Amino acid sequence: MSTKQLLEISEKAVKVALKKGAGQAQVASFLLDTALTRFANSQIHQNVASKTGGVAIRVITKKKIGALRANTLDEGKIGDAVEKALSIARVVPPNKDFRSLPSPQKWTPIKGAFDSETAACTAEFRADRVKDIVQKAHSKSRHVKSVAGSFSTGSSSFAISNSLGVSAYAQISLASVNVTVISEVTGSQGFGSDEQHSRFVKELDHIHVADEAAEKSIRSVKPIKIQPGEYETVLSPRASGTFVSFLGYMGFSATTYQDGQSFVKYHLGEQAFDEKLTVKDDSRDHLTLYTVPVDGEGVPKKPLQLIDQGVVSEESICYDSFTAGKEKGRKSTGHSPPPIVMFFGPMRPFPINMIASSGDASTEEMIKDTKRGIFVTRFHYTNPVDPTKAILTGLTRDGTFLVENGELSQPVMNLRYTDSMLTALKNIDMIGKEPRRTGDTTTPAMKLRRLRFTGITEY
Amino acid sequence: MSLELGKAVLETAQKKGASYADVRIGEVFDEHVTVKKGLPDDISLRETNGFGVRVIVEGAWGFAGSVFLTKGEAVQTAQAAIGIAKASSRIKKKHVTLAPSESRKGKYSTKTKKDPFKVPLDEKIDVLLHAERTIAGQSDLIKSSSAFFRAFRENKFFMSTEGAEISQQITWCGGGLEGVAVRNGEVQRRSFPASFRGNFSTSGFEFFESLALSDYAKRVGQEAVQLLDAEKCAPAETDLILTGDQLALQIHESCGHPTELDRALGMEADYAGTSFLVPDKLGKLKYGSKNVNIVADATVPGGLGTFGFDDEGTPAKRTDLIKNGLFVGYQTSRETAAELRQKRSSGGMRAQSPMALPLIRMTNINLLPGNWKSDEIVEDTKNGVLMMVNKSWSIDDRRLNFQFGTEIAWEIKNGSRERILKNPTYTGITPVFWGSCDAVSKDDWRMWGTPNCGKGVPGQTIYVGHGCGTARFRKTRVGVLR
Repeated sequence: MSTKQLLEISEKAVKVALKKGAGQAQVASFLLDTALTRFANSQIHQNVASKTGGVAIRVITKKKIGALRANTLDEGKIGDAVEKALSIARVVPPNKDFRSLPSPQKWTPIKGAFDSETAACTAEFRADRVKDIVQKAHSKSRHVKSVAGSFSTGSSSFAISNSLGVSAYAQISLASVNVTVISEVTGSQGFGSDEQHSRFVKELDHIHVADEAAEKSIRSVKPIKIQPGEYETVLSPRASGTFVSFLGYMGFSATTYQDGQSFVKYHLGEQAFDEKLTVKDDSRDHLTLYTVPVDGEGVPKKPLQLIDQGVVSEESICYDSFTAGKEKGRKSTGHSPPPIVMFFGPMRPFPINMIASSGDASTEEMIKDTKRGIFVTRFHYTNPVDPTKAILTGLTRDGTFLVENGELSQPVMNLRYTDSMLTALKNIDMIGKEPRRTGDTTTPAMKLRRLRFTGITEY
Repeated sequence: MSLELGKAVLETAQKKGASYADVRIGEVFDEHVTVKKGLPDDISLRETNGFGVRVIVEGAWGFAGSVFLTKGEAVQTAQAAIGIAKASSRIKKKHVTLAPSESRKGKYSTKTKKDPFKVPLDEKIDVLLHAERTIAGQSDLIKSSSAFFRAFRENKFFMSTEGAEISQQITWCGGGLEGVAVRNGEVQRRSFPASFRGNFSTSGFEFFESLALSDYAKRVGQEAVQLLDAEKCAPAETDLILTGDQLALQIHESCGHPTELDRALGMEADYAGTSFLVPDKLGKLKYGSKNVNIVADATVPGGLGTFGFDDEGTPAKRTDLIKNGLFVGYQTSRETAAELRQKRSSGGMRAQSPMALPLIRMTNINLLPGNWKSDEIVEDTKNGVLMMVNKSWSIDDRRLNFQFGTEIAWEIKNGSRERILKNPTYTGITPVFWGSCDAVSKDDWRMWGTPNCGKGVPGQTIYVGHGCGTARFRKTRVGVLR
């Protein structure tokens, strides 16, 4: 189904809503056509494909809002869905904060967002890559015990129409490879992993990913135990991506900002982070993964400077039309989540195209510059402990090493960190020159003067 | 339509060489009602329908799903699953083997007194607004207050080439409250009856009514404000008492996930991780003290993980996981049960939607009641901290090192609750922590529902339950935050 067809579905549904009495209406049609080949213990164990799609409907009558998301693209059923959304709007109290759905704005598609080759990849294609990955990893060492991971390909598209004339669409292709290797020497296991994401499957270097994961895994066996405490820390791009992603989640949504639950609110105009840290949100930058020109309301996505040389400001906040309507003179920045993103609570605006500016250091130089510290490949199960103070906790995983006198000296047992990002990212000694995509963020490696590790695991 | 579509799928699969095939056809209705700051915030309905086909061809799995419910799409999707299975078979070490089928023709429906989807929306909104306004009215320091309702219904039909034909209707609902107090950049939150939108049960609207949200709203608002002036939970090694709302998540993370056999066999190594409970330790490892008895039980009334049959047709059952502190069982599927040469699946295969592949998921993971009354546990504690209602959580990829934060705590001195403590946290290593459990209550034992348990690649969420009361853990490290 093309984006043109999706747009026709949205436009027809809006007309139906108006005819049935809606004051304003917005319909987003969407389609996800995805496939994923998953492997573990060096064999494919889960291999799936699915076509899901539907409509996200919002109707408003005298500030009464009814919303419905239905997994159907059938014209007859969409009429029923519109009626259900209206039946909700008829009984809910008016929302005085609602101003209006957005008016149309000029937008242009993004070149290079969609690759038909990536969208059309077959199960055989993915199986061939998995075979290469498993062979490469096992060829590295006889100590490689098992290889796990996934190789995914597919496409997502959506089209939005509203009763004020908004008419917009987006289509992207996505491909990812993720490899975890487990090695074993005399009962001690070592873990290593790596991943790549792109809109173009041909850009994925699955052999390199397998090689990197296997190398880390082999080096990780027989880890030593070190004492928790504050250490100089070199973060791989994946690890720094976790920190930046959580900053976006905790700090830059207008919803949490307006509720007083964002750390940004309490540090406006301050040097909240190291001046080397600059993070923007820009869906048109080729470095980002989700290159969609418009948001879930069809508003062009505005590039935002979230952190400018360590400083956050009111201009860092991501708005949709609803949250913008609550502040005088404020306009949507185009950050309503697209309908291809699924939430479990109320939708709220937030950044999905974060890019941290690169520096001029290589990871090797960062390690060389470290007298005694920790190298982190990846974090696991990170969660906010106190979002207002930007405190996170989580664990290291898949390759954690002690750095001594400028070299990775020994693998260490995984560590738990608990620290405020306002402290950890306040002193960044070096920033890497090679950014990597890790989903909603694109980040380089970073060397932190200190990170507070508060616990240790047993492996 | 379901029977016809299902037959078309199975016939196509068998004709194309599947040694086994099953199909799930389903529809999901998910109603969300949230009010915030005196206004409707999210009043929405999410409807999902579609089907998923699982096949074994040449000893390997293939799966495909679609939202387009037509016979033509059914045939195409079955063919797609066959093609995917053939691709899988090129990189396999051994043929997939399944434990014997317990599938049959059957029906199951959640027992409800009041259908939550038939209760008028404005009635739900009125209840929520009254409770939410009560929270907001407690203080000007309450900067955000919300009340939640959610109702969920899943109608599903399962057929397999082994002759299963199973219809099920699962219904659950529930809700909760949240008040947020803010002063000078400090934020304190209180929720009822649990955080992350409350508590949920496979029941009708009568369960939501039993929560009596308005009766607790005042306390939610007052405690959020009181926390602003409370002392911080100081670092210490002390006796820790957890009430059921927090203990449920402790069970979930440190027993529920590590006893999933797919994790233990390395099948989740790339994402959620593996498990310290490897098969070599089954029947040998001392997981906890003799007071610790944990079961996976899909039959317990009202549990959020209660159903008639799992998503590969296995009837709901109860399985011992930890018995008198000893690790004795896994949550399994037919495939993983066969790996351990077990005769039966534990019946834990579940999918988030008809278009998703079933995985081993928790049902209701319950800590069985002990002999204590919850008040007696407090009275018996000389020095300690009582923690309530989860605020943050994190655990490593083998499920050993965990750290949790709760919304509120009370200092326990000489058997009585004393002052409130804020920002409480505790941390530990799973078998050491459960090994220190010396008291488990029976009087306040109840089911807690968690609607958003995540697992798998592509990611899936599922609703699970945890039965527990209050428990005490000796010499636990608390107060990780400075």
